[in-house]
Amino acid sequence: MPEWFLYFVALPMAMLIVASAVYGLYWASKKGQLQDLEEGAKVIFDDEEPIGRPTDQTLHQTKPAPKSGPRF
Amino acid sequence: MSATLTASLNPASSPDVAQRAELSAIDASTKAPALYFLGSSVLWLIVGTVFALIASFKMHSPTFLGDIEWLTFGRARTLHLNAVIYGWSVNASFAVALWLMARLSRAELRHAGLLLIAAIFWNVGVTVGMVGIAIGHSTSIEWLEFPAYATPILFFAYAFVGAWAVATFRFGRSKHIYVSQWYLLAALFWFPSLYGVAQVMLVFEPTRGTVQALVNWWFAHNVLGLWFTPIGLAAIYYFLPKVLGKPINSYYLSVLGFWSLAIFYNWAGVHHLIGGPVPVWVQTAGIAASFMMVVPVIVTGLNQHLTLVGSASALKYSPTLRFIVFGGVNYTLTSLAGSLMSMRSWAEITHFTHYTVGHAHHGMYAFFTMVMFGSIYYILPRILLKEWPSAKLISLHFWATAIGITIYVVGLSLGGILQGIATNMTHGPDASIIPYLSNADVKGIIEITLPYLQVRSYSGVLITIGHLAFAVNFVWMLVQPRPVGATAPTLFRPAPDLEAAR
Amino acid sequence: MNRAPLIFLGIFFAIAFSWTGIVLTNHLGYAKLQPVFNEDEGKAFPQRLPGEAIRGKEVYRDLGCVYCHTQQVRHAGYGVDLERGWGERGSVARDYIHEKRVYLGTMRTGPDLRNVGARFAGEGGRDWHIQHFYDAQITSKGSIMPNYRFLFETRPIVGEPSPKAVQSKLPPQYQPPAGHEIVLTQRGEDLIAYLLALKDGPLGPDETSRLYVPKEEPKKEASQPEAAK
Repeated sequence: MPEWFLYFVALPMAMLIVASAVYGLYWASKKGQLQDLEEGAKVIFDDEEPIGRPTDQTLHQTKPAPKSGPRF
Repeated sequence: MSATLTASLNPASSPDVAQRAELSAIDASTKAPALYFLGSSVLWLIVGTVFALIASFKMHSPTFLGDIEWLTFGRARTLHLNAVIYGWSVNASFAVALWLMARLSRAELRHAGLLLIAAIFWNVGVTVGMVGIAIGHSTSIEWLEFPAYATPILFFAYAFVGAWAVATFRFGRSKHIYVSQWYLLAALFWFPSLYGVAQVMLVFEPTRGTVQALVNWWFAHNVLGLWFTPIGLAAIYYFLPKVLGKPINSYYLSVLGFWSLAIFYNWAGVHHLIGGPVPVWVQTAGIAASFMMVVPVIVTGLNQHLTLVGSASALKYSPTLRFIVFGGVNYTLTSLAGSLMSMRSWAEITHFTHYTVGHAHHGMYAFFTMVMFGSIYYILPRILLKEWPSAKLISLHFWATAIGITIYVVGLSLGGILQGIATNMTHGPDASIIPYLSNADVKGIIEITLPYLQVRSYSGVLITIGHLAFAVNFVWMLVQPRPVGATAPTLFRPAPDLEAAR
Repeated sequence: MNRAPLIFLGIFFAIAFSWTGIVLTNHLGYAKLQPVFNEDEGKAFPQRLPGEAIRGKEVYRDLGCVYCHTQQVRHAGYGVDLERGWGERGSVARDYIHEKRVYLGTMRTGPDLRNVGARFAGEGGRDWHIQHFYDAQITSKGSIMPNYRFLFETRPIVGEPSPKAVQSKLPPQYQPPAGHEIVLTQRGEDLIAYLLALKDGPLGPDETSRLYVPKEEPKKEASQPEAAK
């Protein structure tokens, strides 16, 4: 590979890509897309299936399932 | 907290019976297509397992079914791969992806009946492709063996599934995009891009020379990395916190894991061509990317581990959790092994050996398939509104497959390393260090690997037992009557100690 | 928070990036490689396969030979393919330009086949393949290659025995019942023709100048006295 390619094509392209990535992150941050990230972890829970309640218990149970009434 | 406790111990007084309606309705809307996809996936799993056993036994007893042309090793192996990939894995991922997408987007799957058409077409496409391979129309391009005439059917079916999943996301009521949805959306976009490009550049209008090999491995490795891995991770990121009832340890890490996977996995496929007749710079790029995969893998593994810490006792009670955690741990292990395998010096030994086969099963089975099993154990009760009939069969399924695949991977890895060392030692000073591996001709190398190939077959039998237990439980569940008036699955009583864990 | 556009851009960028780098760049870069005329031989290399061998490659494809045999020789200094006699040189991209389907392979349960036509050539090579396909144990005791009996046909002799009959090449225990003969099917003939034709020609000047040559031992010896000091 000729040396000029490295300096005049590859290097500028690499810098351009890095610059666009940096800009993308800046844009995302300005729009507030990087804030409150940890809140996202909770969206799979709600009043129906709140945090703190396991939802799958099938094995090693001695008592049989109750005959009536919904369970989840 | 205490309200929750009372609620779960005393369902009649539970205030959320009525509120349960939303999730129930969403789950119910996915019932028809999800059931069809899951049913066919289980069927293909059994078919694929049978071909796996045939191919595996042929490997050490070549006369076994030796005179039947359509069962000759080259075809039986190919039938196995395509049955478990396009039959079992893709069908299962369709069901899991659609169900997850509907739940996470808080949207019912609309006109789900139409999705049945897609489901039927997909399975017709797979059947046509399988028959094509059996009668000798395989393309012999790894992971793309289905003959050209099967492809349009598959593409048509896929377009339906992809469109439905994206529409469900679009019309969802959920304000927030959960990380599982990121993975699902990405996978749904990546798969048709990969499959389309590969079909055009390899089957319909093949590019020239070894560029074909680059397209082939760009596709084949990315199907693992950009379709199966994201679907598997999406399932882990949903079920792990959901089953435990506590949010994922660090949401930030999960997002970091997503982006690093998206950037690095893409380029990793070229490591299948290390030392081959393709430009060295692209091999080097592939090796670098493969090594960078350590980042998303460590991040994801750490996150899952930290989420599970303190709740590990739930593994005793929840089948979903057991399979998911087994899969998650193996995701970390197989990916780290993969990064190692891409190093030139290690690839010199393991490339072209059974080690690669062991690694492929480590990823596709010990990680992906186990995660799918776990997901199915969670999903099916919720769309059928009844519980799995036999906890014993679930246990049998877990232990047979977990032990089976562990033996499989360890055995083939060892055999592969020995095979690789023996292949590379023809003469010279190294040759005297390990006389047993030195100066072996091809027959000698086969002799060295033979015991490990036999171990593979035995572990395959164990895995088959697990699959049969799963299939029996699955069919039994379908045919058993539903409890009268059930609007939610009648799951067994939660373990009290877990209830308190938070 | 609607992050969908950002996510989608990233998703799209990721795959477009690798497609450009791995597929497009190389497609533009070397998919147009041309054969090179060799003065010594008076022919251009690589050469096209004869028609029979092209049909044979279809048999190679449909039986899935690629799952146990590679068709790529690793260069000197990486693996010992050359010492094993799998080729006189490592494979280069130009060797494959005439192939409609390239079967590099990723697995060596059996030996590399890129130059199998050089190892087993002529009538003797053909006989070897006939025995090997009929039962690999004849030529290679302990091999795990399947038998390919379905590439042969055992048929009653009608009139004169066929000049193409091959049972005379097989050991006694494989002889057909009296009044029968064994012939190769057309597919069997084609496959053997393909294997006999598989060999790489001389390198072009481009590759010769670029091939990696491992450093010779003397250099090491020269540096040893220095290290001793």
